[in-house]
Amino acid sequence: MKRFLQTICFIALMLFLVACNSEAAGTTEDGKTKIEYWHVNAETQGGQTVKQLVEDFNAQSETVEVVAKYNPDMYKGLMQNLQAEAAAGNAPAVVQVGWSFLNYFSDNFSYVSPQTVIEQHFPEDETFLQDKFLPNVLDLAKNSDGEQVGIPYSLSSPVLYINRDILREAGLDENGPQTWEEVKEFSKVIKEETGKYGFYFQEPADNWATQALLESNGAQFITDGKATFASEEGIEAYELLADMVLEDETALHIGWDQGVQSFIDGSVAMAYTTIAQRSNIQDNAQFDVAAVKSPAWEGKDVKLPAGGAMLTITAPNEKEQKAAWEFMRYLYSIESMAEWTKGTGYVPPRNDVADAENGLKTYLEENEMMTAAVEQMDGVVPWASFPGDAGLEAEQLLLDLRDQILGGSISVEEGLTSIEDKINELLND
Amino acid sequence: MKINRTVEITWHVIFMATVIVLVFPIIYAVGMSFTPLEDAYNNVLNIIPLHPTLENYITFFDTLPVVKVTMNTFIIASVATVFKVLTSFLAAYAFVYFQFKGKEVLYFLLISTIFIPFTVTMIPNYLIVSDLGLLDSVWGVILPQLADAIGIFLITQSMRSIPISLIEVARLDNLGHGRIMKDIVLPLVRPAITSVGIWFFISSWNEFVWPVLILKTTENYTLPLALQMYISSEGGTNFTVAMAVSVITMIIPLLLYLTFQKYIIGTFTSSGIK
Amino acid sequence: MSALAAVRKTLHLNRENAIGYGLLIPSIIIFAVFTFWPFLYTVYLSFFDWNMISPEKEFVGIRNYMEVLGDPRTYQIFGNTFLYIVILLAINCVVPYIFAFVIDIVLKRWNGFYKSALFLPAFISLVVGSILFTWILNPVSGPLAIVFGWIGLEIPNWTKSEGWVILVLSLITSWKVFGYNFILLYASINGISREIIESARLDNVPLWRIFFQIILPMSSATGIYVFILTIVQSLQYVFTPVKVVTQGGPDYASSNLIYHAYHEAFVVYRTGHSATLSIITMALFLILLFLYFKFVDRGIYYEN
Repeated sequence: MKRFLQTICFIALMLFLVACNSEAAGTTEDGKTKIEYWHVNAETQGGQTVKQLVEDFNAQSETVEVVAKYNPDMYKGLMQNLQAEAAAGNAPAVVQVGWSFLNYFSDNFSYVSPQTVIEQHFPEDETFLQDKFLPNVLDLAKNSDGEQVGIPYSLSSPVLYINRDILREAGLDENGPQTWEEVKEFSKVIKEETGKYGFYFQEPADNWATQALLESNGAQFITDGKATFASEEGIEAYELLADMVLEDETALHIGWDQGVQSFIDGSVAMAYTTIAQRSNIQDNAQFDVAAVKSPAWEGKDVKLPAGGAMLTITAPNEKEQKAAWEFMRYLYSIESMAEWTKGTGYVPPRNDVADAENGLKTYLEENEMMTAAVEQMDGVVPWASFPGDAGLEAEQLLLDLRDQILGGSISVEEGLTSIEDKINELLND
Repeated sequence: MKINRTVEITWHVIFMATVIVLVFPIIYAVGMSFTPLEDAYNNVLNIIPLHPTLENYITFFDTLPVVKVTMNTFIIASVATVFKVLTSFLAAYAFVYFQFKGKEVLYFLLISTIFIPFTVTMIPNYLIVSDLGLLDSVWGVILPQLADAIGIFLITQSMRSIPISLIEVARLDNLGHGRIMKDIVLPLVRPAITSVGIWFFISSWNEFVWPVLILKTTENYTLPLALQMYISSEGGTNFTVAMAVSVITMIIPLLLYLTFQKYIIGTFTSSGIK
Repeated sequence: MSALAAVRKTLHLNRENAIGYGLLIPSIIIFAVFTFWPFLYTVYLSFFDWNMISPEKEFVGIRNYMEVLGDPRTYQIFGNTFLYIVILLAINCVVPYIFAFVIDIVLKRWNGFYKSALFLPAFISLVVGSILFTWILNPVSGPLAIVFGWIGLEIPNWTKSEGWVILVLSLITSWKVFGYNFILLYASINGISREIIESARLDNVPLWRIFFQIILPMSSATGIYVFILTIVQSLQYVFTPVKVVTQGGPDYASSNLIYHAYHEAFVVYRTGHSATLSIITMALFLILLFLYFKFVDRGIYYEN
């Protein structure tokens, strides 16, 4: 009996606590418009900066209060949560949408183009986008129909991180390789001289870096809505990577976290990965580390897909849309952009932040590793996002192909051609 | 009968090896939680930190209201556990001691839900929780978890092994169902209840897929969600802070276990679960 | 006859049975809302081509079933799932059974220590386990690789090799669930009357016969529970390491039925395919469960 009573008391106490708890989540009493901002920034990727920016914004705004929601598992995870939210008939106000989801997002979710909101409610900002952003940067946020879905916010590009100590030990140029052909040669020498792996090519759940590798060689992922990566140049480029993994055994074929871990502890001499890893690598590597520009192919121009995300307005009503732009305008101010870059390692999408005194001028002078990413921004192209319902499936097919090629179960030529056909079939449906 | 000495030693060696394999990662995690990230990367073999630091814990406490988050996790896990055990017990009692139409079918239906993949229920449940206005609340996390038939299964199993004559005698004495449940059945199935209770608590404590979907504001976070804040493919995982969060996450169930260990083990060994 | 009376008659409802139904009401409500309704909804969705948010669902009849069953990948994933179940049953059902038996019956010393130590990892989440083991088992830089390196051994590149990846992910899952299963089985064996065992020992019955002829049948109720639980674990629990460590890769080599359903629904947003896959999974296990009720449940030893 005693225990029974104890249990009842325990339940009562719990219910009480739960009741108290749910009161905390209410709406604002002071009449501010409360909006949600969904982001993907983990603590290692600017989470603190998001928190700071939102707090500062809330402190200075008399009309809007922003609640930031973190979504684990990057843009894919955010998209999953957004899907559930949309199915339930709700929507946050401002959402980060990753570039590879550009078409999927604009096909399936309701959003308003920022310019529309601006023209409706903020005539004073009418030329904001035009003035502050380079046209090629703004274009990154246009879907396959040419609509401006959102505004670029986080811009990243792949760079080559090098371990100068190993390069010197192997008697190689400590400034790292300039071309992909050199990357291959360097790796061979490193393996022979030091016994270590020469190179790691990032392997996340997307084809971003692969696109950089192939398109820099003159291949084209998508031409007029069709997959065209299996061109001669595409095959040649992919073969270089496959050869390094399978034939030379100088490149590591391994998951992203593990690959970066192996670069940081000095087991791999060079790593090709996003500039967003900069602070992780810079803070933790105990060797002479540098980031150099993405390698080119002999005699060709570098083409790098922009990584990162845009901000889109998904607020369902005018009141929230207005609030959303007020918040976004704050995020795109020079000071906020500068904080954002420092916190995340992303390259600022606004054209005037890098040189502004209240922006990043001193910061960039002090952080050489960022320079590589900033300097290569003129080679930036949109992240290939396959149009239509089958877009994500197409992306997945390419990912599966990477496992097959680097696992040695299919040749590059056969793999690329067959997957290209398959994707085009899907896109035709 | 004597046990052969070499056989005994062999078994001790096997058990020791297993214990080491199972416990080493925990010790490693604890060690890493007191190590600066830079050291962790560069000296993976140092289980005992070279430069011990509380930095990882401080980072965690600076980012989140840890006490509140721990409370949330605790409330969710306890409420879910108590409710699940209670409803499972009642259901099991009905299945074992009552004869009514459709009993077998109903039992089969409930037990078969054990095999329903959670992907099936995820979106519809999200819609329900959203319609109930429970997004971003503890109840939104708790409610869907309650539908878990594993408790009904184990408690029914356990009740069936109680000699039916005990119950019949009690019925002849005109004892009500309330009394029978409390005085006869409950003490006898206590081991089963304890073991599903532990199972429920640990599962709910560590649940992360569902809370990610439901909870939004950091004040409402649970510990497994807090852990997610230090894992990122793009920015890199902060391994040492993640380990600090893990240590905090495992400490409460561990303390609970150690506190009630005597009771738990006692429950098991006095009667055993059949 | 009133409708109420008719209902009472068909259900044989009397005071006694009414209590029985009454006790089930909380469970029935909860399961109806959070399991059965979603399940029926999924059955419904499996006949549509839909991505969960677009306003129109296209009715496709049984095309989803044809596509899923016609896809060789589905069978690869069936195979993976089966492999997970076999490995996990071996590690988390058979081994703990033997361990529990030996610790309870054979060993006289350190029993308490083993019990506590083996149970310890049960408190840790699999997310933590996954991150931890990804780090520890890094084939180039992890502590294990380095120690192996000293004696000239290499760790396989498990996240990228077929076969290995399933084994290692199973081990990560086992790390967490082993202890709980072990404690359950230990408690069950410990509850068996000592007299029977002692007398068997006095008769010099070999240990393995004690195990098979006394222990196994007399603890079979718990044994079955652990067995079913392990199958559930190899479906649901493996999900976490798969999601955190490999996302089903390389080329689906580590995906199981549940992860694949998740992948279809939330990565490529083919809700119809995912629903179909879930229904097929469900049907398979229903058959198993039915067989269990038909044949095994009767053979279980209840102390009656």
